[in-house]
Amino acid sequence: MRKILATFLLVISLGLYCLPLMAQQNVVLSGTVRDKKTGESLIKAVIRIQELPNAGIISNEYGFYSLSMPKGNYVAVVSQVGYETLVQKIKLDSSVSIDFKLETKNQLREVVVESSRKNDNLTKAQMGTETINMSAISKVPVIFGEKDLLKTIQLLPGVKSAGEGNSGFFVRGGGADQNLILLDEAPVYNATHLLGFFSTFNSDAIKDATIIKGNSGSQYGGRLSSVLDVKMKEGNNQDYTVNGGLGLISSKVSIEGPLQKNKSSFILSGRRTYADMFLKATEKFKDNILYFYDLNAKANYQINAKNKVYISGYFGRDELGLGQDFGIDWGNKTGTIRWNKIISNRLFLNTSLIYSDYNYNVKLKNGATNFNINSNIKDVNLKQDYTLYANGLNTLRFGFNSILHTITPSTFSGTVINSVAKEGRNGLENALYLTNNYRANNQLTIDYGMRLSMYTLMGGDVYNIYENGVVKSSVKLNRSSFGKTYANLEPRITTNYRINEETSIKAGYARNVQHLHLLSNSVASSPSDQWIGNSYNIKPEIADQLSLGYVTKLFKSNFEFTAETYYKYLQNQIDYKDGAEINTVSDVESVLLYGIGRAYGLELLLKKKEGRLTGWIGYTLSKTERKIDGINEGKWYNARQDRTHDISVVGIYELNSRWSISGVFVYNTGDAVTYPTGKYNLQGQTLYQYAARNANRMPAYHRLDFSATYEKNKTKRMHGSWNFSLYNVYGRENAFRISFKDDPNDPTRTQIIRTALFRWVPSVTYQFKF
Amino acid sequence: MKKIFFLISICATLLIGCDKEISLVLDNNEPVLVIDGSITDQAGPYFVQLSMTSPINNPTRVIGVNNARVFITDQAGIKDSLEFVSNGLYRTKKIRGTEGGTYNLEVMVDQKKYTASSSMPQKVNLDSLRINTFPFNGEIRYSVIPVYLDPVTLGNSYRFIQKINDTIDPTFHIFNDNLNNGKVNQRPLRGGDEKLKIKPRDNVFVEMQCISNATYIYYNSLDQQSGAGPGGGTAPSNPPSNIVGGALGIFSAHTVQRKTITIR
Repeated sequence: MRKILATFLLVISLGLYCLPLMAQQNVVLSGTVRDKKTGESLIKAVIRIQELPNAGIISNEYGFYSLSMPKGNYVAVVSQVGYETLVQKIKLDSSVSIDFKLETKNQLREVVVESSRKNDNLTKAQMGTETINMSAISKVPVIFGEKDLLKTIQLLPGVKSAGEGNSGFFVRGGGADQNLILLDEAPVYNATHLLGFFSTFNSDAIKDATIIKGNSGSQYGGRLSSVLDVKMKEGNNQDYTVNGGLGLISSKVSIEGPLQKNKSSFILSGRRTYADMFLKATEKFKDNILYFYDLNAKANYQINAKNKVYISGYFGRDELGLGQDFGIDWGNKTGTIRWNKIISNRLFLNTSLIYSDYNYNVKLKNGATNFNINSNIKDVNLKQDYTLYANGLNTLRFGFNSILHTITPSTFSGTVINSVAKEGRNGLENALYLTNNYRANNQLTIDYGMRLSMYTLMGGDVYNIYENGVVKSSVKLNRSSFGKTYANLEPRITTNYRINEETSIKAGYARNVQHLHLLSNSVASSPSDQWIGNSYNIKPEIADQLSLGYVTKLFKSNFEFTAETYYKYLQNQIDYKDGAEINTVSDVESVLLYGIGRAYGLELLLKKKEGRLTGWIGYTLSKTERKIDGINEGKWYNARQDRTHDISVVGIYELNSRWSISGVFVYNTGDAVTYPTGKYNLQGQTLYQYAARNANRMPAYHRLDFSATYEKNKTKRMHGSWNFSLYNVYGRENAFRISFKDDPNDPTRTQIIRTALFRWVPSVTYQFKF
Repeated sequence: MKKIFFLISICATLLIGCDKEISLVLDNNEPVLVIDGSITDQAGPYFVQLSMTSPINNPTRVIGVNNARVFITDQAGIKDSLEFVSNGLYRTKKIRGTEGGTYNLEVMVDQKKYTASSSMPQKVNLDSLRINTFPFNGEIRYSVIPVYLDPVTLGNSYRFIQKINDTIDPTFHIFNDNLNNGKVNQRPLRGGDEKLKIKPRDNVFVEMQCISNATYIYYNSLDQQSGAGPGGGTAPSNPPSNIVGGALGIFSAHTVQRKTITIR
């Protein structure tokens, strides 16, 4: 422990030592980049100085930037996707603060996925990173016409869908629980609604979303595979607007506007599905309940030029039920209070206090008897993140993060059982990090950093220590006392070398550590899957990822081609023993198995970013395996999500100023599954014999979707658009499940049944804004 | 928990599910020996069925193994050499099953030896059967609750075999006392599938078996794999068996009680 701390401090001091001495005669240009019309701050805008080709900076998550340079007269060039580039003369006699205000582009054309700007020589050395443009995704066809962030990122190489129409996703061979999904910095534990068919993100309330596939900066941590960083809109601080959408399955509305013009604003956004209304209309299903809703709210207040406060919250809930007798509901609540403080024109501080709560409840009722299952995970999270614009070449980011987790696993109660109050467990997760973005010269950028993550077991339930499945000893801690601490160092580095104006190569290594684990015995995620923290038996999951990349621009920068390869090694992966009753067993740790994993692959992406036709073609070649003691005789086997080939093609074409059409085509190798290799009759029933786990394949999956968007001519206030889409144009019956059963007409014959979910799902959505 | 998956599959069906028979090219494994043996607290003889697995595309039938030598020994040292009946079925001659007794099975086939051991739990009395009704999708559904008082010590496991008018319900009804230790059981036997709905005037027969933990894991594993969750429940594998030597199946010493109820 002490050793680790010492190493960490050494790295920090080395990092600072390496900083070239700050030039004293320099002055600082700092400020915020904003949308001129709405006042919304702009993330990742590029600020360049024409006279100093080496100088430049990217605005941070709050639109803040800071640049030091010698006194003089300059021309600043500020650019951002979807905005007209701003060219502004600046006279720098002393340090000044200037807010740049950018105007949105007149043309409607917007690109869905934007990993690098046209002038990307300033972009950080980040690898495997894609940013989703929320206003452009409405043109990508999706099932039920509900534009959806999570379904759009599944069209990127290296990101795979958890199943037909499902919002769950796997990144580079990782599990669905290995993605850190952040909504305004608050972790979202279950990012899906309605058993995965919708994501919890109401796209009208989202400003920006970035996915980082394993090589994230040290400020992120806690999950192995990826970071999906979703930022909510701040709200228009100039004028009131109402946005909304009417769809066949759901409708939504958002209101935003200034609380005090130029100073503060708010946004309120709500959404509800109404599939249950259709159920009510049928005699058979009229007592059934099936809906979800969610609410996003955010407000910000500019206290003075140096201080700004944001408050944001999310509340979402799903309800499913069969009459009075059976119901299940689940949902996330998150709340974030953030305080931006510009300590000096070089030092930016953000302090966040975050609360997050995920719970589910199952109710069973039968006459006078009832039965309930509840489970809950609660986080209180304090974060401080400093950005130090040390000089033109080094931008340092450092800070800490402390999370108190309270995890209550499935607890059963009711009239017919012994209600065992499980006390739940507390865990304290602490992290310290430091990362430096160093621009060695115009060609070489290095992002390097270190994260120290620690997890301390705290009191609550008894911790049993197992050896070969047998309890060896037990530890009982008081609520507020501390047990074992796991400490891990997570070194990370990415480098970007620009060979010329068009081409660069990248390389990176990252270690990620995960202290919370999702226990699920079903193939698809279910709301009742439980989270569990580290314990005396469960060790932190560790992933080491090595990646190499190549980016080049083709045809006058109209096209961009990216190739990335990765190799990932996973430790302390968790699974269950066969036949284990995981939900009711008194200590779930008695039925867990541990092992390792590996994943490697090649990802190719060709994007067209300019012109009437935009879109991309992505291809992934990959392999994902696990090796767990007690499964498959301890030999390597394919993970379920191992799909050798994965292709996605997305195209959006502007026919004229009113109509645009778009199409999506996806193809992937079927999931790795286990088919029987023989059968036998036992007590009159047909049972199946199995060999190696996941050695077989589901049939290949492919699908074409199509949509057309009609935008009415913009009048002064009202703006409306219609979207018509057809999911699965050629009606392929993609296998959702393959099952084996006796032929009802001849029970000695075995039938192989393919279940397909969606053929031809048409939808219409009306989107409005005034 | 099962009910959640049930509900999920209903939702999935609402979303226009569509089933079609397809053909697949499947690997065929070497045939493997399957042992299904039991010993109960009822009067003998007790039976051990030996058979071989067959390829998926062949007709399902019992391919008996007729050249085996089968022995069951109890803890008193009585060794019973089972006699061959027909098509892989072997019958005990003298051994007597009792509550609390431990039994060892030994099977010799082509110089290969397979062994298993099972202890018969103490019997928990099946007091009665009662009818449970619940509304479901606009109609009244029926199910049967086996009424018994679970003993105060934790670790009892039960298996129920349900027949509706002589048609056997293929569901594996496997209970334990993780949640209701020491209480009167109020959990119903899930009412078969759509085709095997329980209706008024049906005769429902229930056999209750008090089983060992190994038998519980075996049948619970089969039950989980039959789960109808999206993508098909847990990843299937051969259920963990108490047979040593590489055979499939189970050797179970259990108590047996039977009761019948008429739905009205």
